[in-house]
Order: sequence, then structure tokens, then C-alpha cells
Amino acid sequence: MRRVWAIILLATLLLLTQTQVLAQEGQPESSSPDLVIFTRYPARVAELGRTVTFNLTLRNNSSSPQVVRLEVENVPEGWTATFRGGGDVIQAVYVEPDNHATVSLRLEPPEDVAAGTYRFVVVGRGEGVKAEFPIELTYKEKLPPKLKMEVRLPTLKGTPNTTFRYDVTLKNEGDEDMTVNLVAEAPKGFLVKFKSIGKEVTSLPLKANSSEHIDVEVELFTEVPAGTYPITVRAEGGEAQASLTLTAEVTGRPRLSVTAPDGRLSGQAYAGRESSLKVIVQNNGTAPALNVELSASEPSGWSVEFEPSKITEIPPGKQVEVTAKIRPAEKAVAGDYIVTIRAKPEGGASESADFRITVLTSTLWGVVGVGIIAVAVGVVALAVIRFGRR
Amino acid sequence: MALRLKQIRRAREGSPWTGLWAVVAKEMADHLTSVRMRILEVLIALTAFGTVYAAILRLRSTVGQDPFLFLRLFTTEREPLPAFVGFLGFLVPLVAIALGFDAINGEFNRRTISRVLAQPIYRDALLFGKFLAGFFTLALVLTTIWLLVMGLGLLTLGVPPRGEEVMRSLWFLVATIFYGGIWLALALLFSIVFRQPASAALASIAVWLFFTAFWGMIADVLAQVLRPVRFGFPQEVLAQAQLGLALTRLSPNALYSEITLALLHPTVRALGLLLPIQLQGAILGTPLPLRQSLLLIWPQLTGLIAATILLFALGYVLFQRQEIRA
Repeated sequence: MRRVWAIILLATLLLLTQTQVLAQEGQPESSSPDLVIFTRYPARVAELGRTVTFNLTLRNNSSSPQVVRLEVENVPEGWTATFRGGGDVIQAVYVEPDNHATVSLRLEPPEDVAAGTYRFVVVGRGEGVKAEFPIELTYKEKLPPKLKMEVRLPTLKGTPNTTFRYDVTLKNEGDEDMTVNLVAEAPKGFLVKFKSIGKEVTSLPLKANSSEHIDVEVELFTEVPAGTYPITVRAEGGEAQASLTLTAEVTGRPRLSVTAPDGRLSGQAYAGRESSLKVIVQNNGTAPALNVELSASEPSGWSVEFEPSKITEIPPGKQVEVTAKIRPAEKAVAGDYIVTIRAKPEGGASESADFRITVLTSTLWGVVGVGIIAVAVGVVALAVIRFGRR
Repeated sequence: MALRLKQIRRAREGSPWTGLWAVVAKEMADHLTSVRMRILEVLIALTAFGTVYAAILRLRSTVGQDPFLFLRLFTTEREPLPAFVGFLGFLVPLVAIALGFDAINGEFNRRTISRVLAQPIYRDALLFGKFLAGFFTLALVLTTIWLLVMGLGLLTLGVPPRGEEVMRSLWFLVATIFYGGIWLALALLFSIVFRQPASAALASIAVWLFFTAFWGMIADVLAQVLRPVRFGFPQEVLAQAQLGLALTRLSPNALYSEITLALLHPTVRALGLLLPIQLQGAILGTPLPLRQSLLLIWPQLTGLIAATILLFALGYVLFQRQEIRA
């Protein structure tokens, strides 16, 4: 109880002394105001949405210490203005006479703050003194991140063998650097590669307001039917996106293969005698093969003829059986030989297969050999008959 | 014509085969128990064992995958020993000559021929029997050695031979027997011609030496003389080479070495001259089927057999016309 009293007494004493000081200072009212609030940079520009802190200085020019209560006027709806000092949120500052104190003012805008200039007035009220200081905060509109993609030739035409190469320019029109991921959506059988400076990439850093060349290479790894295929290429960098539709016009192409009916690329032939070999010409391509010419490269002295020697048309996915009539050279040595059989469609690449032909020699000379032995035996027999004695 | 047939019939009465097998059996018994044959058999068996063992040692260390491993037993050489076929090339004539050089003149010298012929045995049967006995002895020895080699191979290589290998080596055996046959027939012929066994043996060995050592050189010289290369045309060179080859083939040694080459090396496609044009498109290193290899050596093999028979026929005629007196 005594303590309470002591505090009350102290408070009244303090009040009394203050009123005395005020009474003393109130009279001179000199040129400089008693309390000054200022900041070195009162008008600031900031990025939209960013919280800004002003460092305020309070100067007490009077001869008595002041407890200055601080507040901000003209705070728009949704804004939060807080004073901070010594790490805490504060409402008042004690300023010694002829001295100054520093306080920071934190201005936190609402999330949907619009660009523009906001004006605030910092007001400090002490015992009989009042100081005001206007500050200004300008929020500048920031450019949103934006990507742009351009292609010079969006439609390319080629055979299934062609590599479709699109020259794409990727532009970052935003104010921020970003890393762009590259994604492609292509029909089945298409392989899309992104290349930058000759290297295959899936993402690349893009500086603000700069552009980059990318080669989009499209390859076909399966035989797709002729037609027009759309390929969507997307660039994604954070929230920004850009997409582009490329078109690949794939023309049909015959693709021949030469094999044998049971897949066994071998045959037998007697030297100097014609023997026939079945050959199958298949079209695995996407367009009909027209006027397929058959030819062979055989060892010299051999002859290879085809029946028929020319196929007018092989539709895609179909096959034609051809008879190759192979006649090894008259004096061919027995053994295995390679005969390459080629099929060439009109205006297309030729396809070939190596057939292994085993040359057999005729057994005629074997019979002659047996005949020689028979003659020798006959000679013995004759001698026995002629010279045999009793 | 009828008259001539009649004459021939009058000249010939009874079967010439009577007593043939008795002669064969007796002669073979003589051969197989004679010291001369023992020595030669031991010699051949030792060479066979030595060369094949050396070949096996080498095969074990060098050959990884060979489809004709058993054939390599015959042809692989290991310094300083030549391959088994190389030894056979000169040992077989030696054995054959040893079997035949005193067949007839020995009987004369022992004065037993009149006694033999006093039996109900024709001269034909005697000569046939002597030849067949020598031939069978030779076949027996060579077959034994063949079995020895194959058995050694089975024991040490640890893989069974394939059918093709067995067939090839069997044909090789047949060729070797007939190669011996030709020298046997020659020795028999000389034993009829010369009264002294030593001269017969020397003559046989002289012929053998001639074909082994000199005939190759002589054939080359003959080819150069008969088909000289005057203008350097390829045709001339070719003709000379072909003549040289044809002359070389008169020698049984050349025929035998060609036969072994084609039979034991299945990848050999041709034995004569091959023009590069004939090899165009050929897949080298692929083995020929046995039939084709046989066709390749058929002329050589039939030549050997026919020469054996003809030499025998010559000896037969000479023997039949000989005067035999005790």
C-alpha cells in the first residue's frame, strides 16, 4: 500500500515539474521549434507491394526532456503503419533536451495496393509541443513477367527421314530474369528436341528483356503415314507462358526391303546350271513403290535374271515375290559366294540384301573318275583272261 | 571274232581265284609276324603318337573354336616336328615298299615258287594273294594308327568328333591306304622284274626318291621349256603354270598331298590355279561340304586307285609271261 502511494506521489511530482518547465519555455517561443521530426529522404519510390521503412529523427530543441507520442495521419484503408524502436513496436519516444532520437516507421501496404503516390503525415505530440512531417511514397507499376515465342517458318514439309528444324525465337518481355522450361506436345512417333547453340536443352535461363534462338528439331522414329501433324511447343517460366503450334507435313515414302520367303538368305546352285531363288520385295513404307527395278551384283561370269525384272507397283504394306534365276559361272569353284540383290523404286533409294549362294560342282567328273577305275579293272580282267595260265 | 573268243576260252580253264584266300592268309601271317614289319609298325606308331601328342599340346594352347578340331590333330605341326600327314607322306611308301619288294623274287631265291605253284593254285591267285595280303596288312596298320589318333584325340581333347570330321578322316584313311597301294604295286612290279630283292628295293626307293625330291623341280623346268614365256602375256604365264601343275600331278606324292589338303582343310576350295576373277564375291574361310571336297579330290583319288590297279596289271602281265623253273 505504501508503495502505491509512493508511485502516485512520484507521478504528481513529475507532473508538477513538467508544468513548471513548460511554463518557463512557453514564454520565450524562439525561432526554432521545440520539437522537430524529419527524415533524410522524405519521398521514396518503391516496387509495388513492398513494405517500406523510413528512418525518422526527432529532435528536441527545448531545454526540457519530452515524451513524444507518435502517430501517422492520412493512412489509407488497409495500410499498416508501425513505429519501431529498439526492436519493438513503440508509440512514444522520450527525447532528452537538445538531443535527438531515431525511430523507424514501417509502412506496410495492403496486398492489392495500386500504383501511385501515397502521402502520409507523421505527427509527434509532446507536452505542449507538436511537430508534423509529411512523407511521400510512390509505388511504381512493375511489368509483369511475359514470354513471347516466335517462329519464322511454322510449317515444314518433308519425308519421314527428314529432320524438321524450326527456328524459334524466345523473348522475355518481363522485367525479371527467369528460367524457362521447354515442353513439347507431339503426336506419337515424333521426337522433339530443343537445341540452343547446338546443344540439346530442356530449360534455359533468359535474362530480362532479352531473346534467345532455339532450334526445335523434330524427328520421326517410326514410320508414320503421310499427313499433317501439329506440334505444340510451350515455354514456361514461372507464371509466364508462351506456346506455339508448329506444323510438320510428312509426305509418304516407299521403303523397300529384300528378303526370302522363309527369311533364309541362302541358296544352292550348281556351277554352270541355272537355279531359281525366291526373293520377296516388301514395301514397309507409307507410299506405293512404283516401277521397282531389280538388279544384282554377282561374281563375274555369273548371270542373274529376275522374273519379272520390273514390278510396276507395290502398295504400302504389301510384298511381291520375284524369282531370281542364278547361273554361276561355268568354271565356278565350289564354295559360298555372295550375291547382292537390289530393288530400286522410281525416285527412291535402293534396298539390297546379300544372298549366300553355295556353289556345288557337278558330279559328272566323279562319274568319269569311276569310269577310269573301271577301265583299269577292265585292263586287269583282260590281262587275266588273255594271260591266265592253267 | 568267234574264233578269237574260242581261242581265249581254250587258253583259260578254271577259276583264277582258287586258293587266293589261302595265299592271302599265309602271306598276311608272314607279314604280321616278320621282324621287318614289327620295326616299321613301331616306327609309325611312335611317329603317330609323337606328332599327334605335339599337335594336341598345341591345339590346347592355341585353338579356341575350331569346327574341325579332330582334323587339326592330323595337320597341326609343332616345331621341330612336322605334322602327322607330313610323316605319313614318306612313311607309308616306305612301309609299302618293305611289304612288296621281295614278294616274288624272294620266292624264287628261296626256291619255293615251284613248290607253291605245284599246289592247285594258279599264278594269278598267287600274285593277287601277294598283292592283297600286302594291301590288307597296310590297311590294317593304317587303320590301327587312325584309331590310335582318334582315341588320343578323344582322350585329350574331351570332345567327341562330329560326323563330318569322322567321315573326312575316314576318306583320308582310304586315300592313305591307296597311296600305300600304289607303292606296293610298284614294289611288287620290281620284285617281278628284278631277280635280286636288293635291286627291287633299291629301284623302288629310287622311284620314290625321284618323285619325292626331284619331280617337282623337273616338272617346273619341263614346263618352262615346253611353254616358255616369250612375251610376258598373262596367258603364257598361266599356260606355263598349268602345264607345271599337270606334270607335278604325275607324282603320287603330289596327288596324295592334294588329297590330304582338301580333305583335312575343309576351307580349301580349289587345288589348281585360281584366277582372282574366280574368287570374286566368294566368302572365304567357309568350309565346303564333304561331298564338294570329295568332288574336288575325286580325280586325284581315282587317279591313285587307277594307277595302283594299272601297275598291278602290268606286274601281272609280266609275271604271267615269266619262265618259272625250280
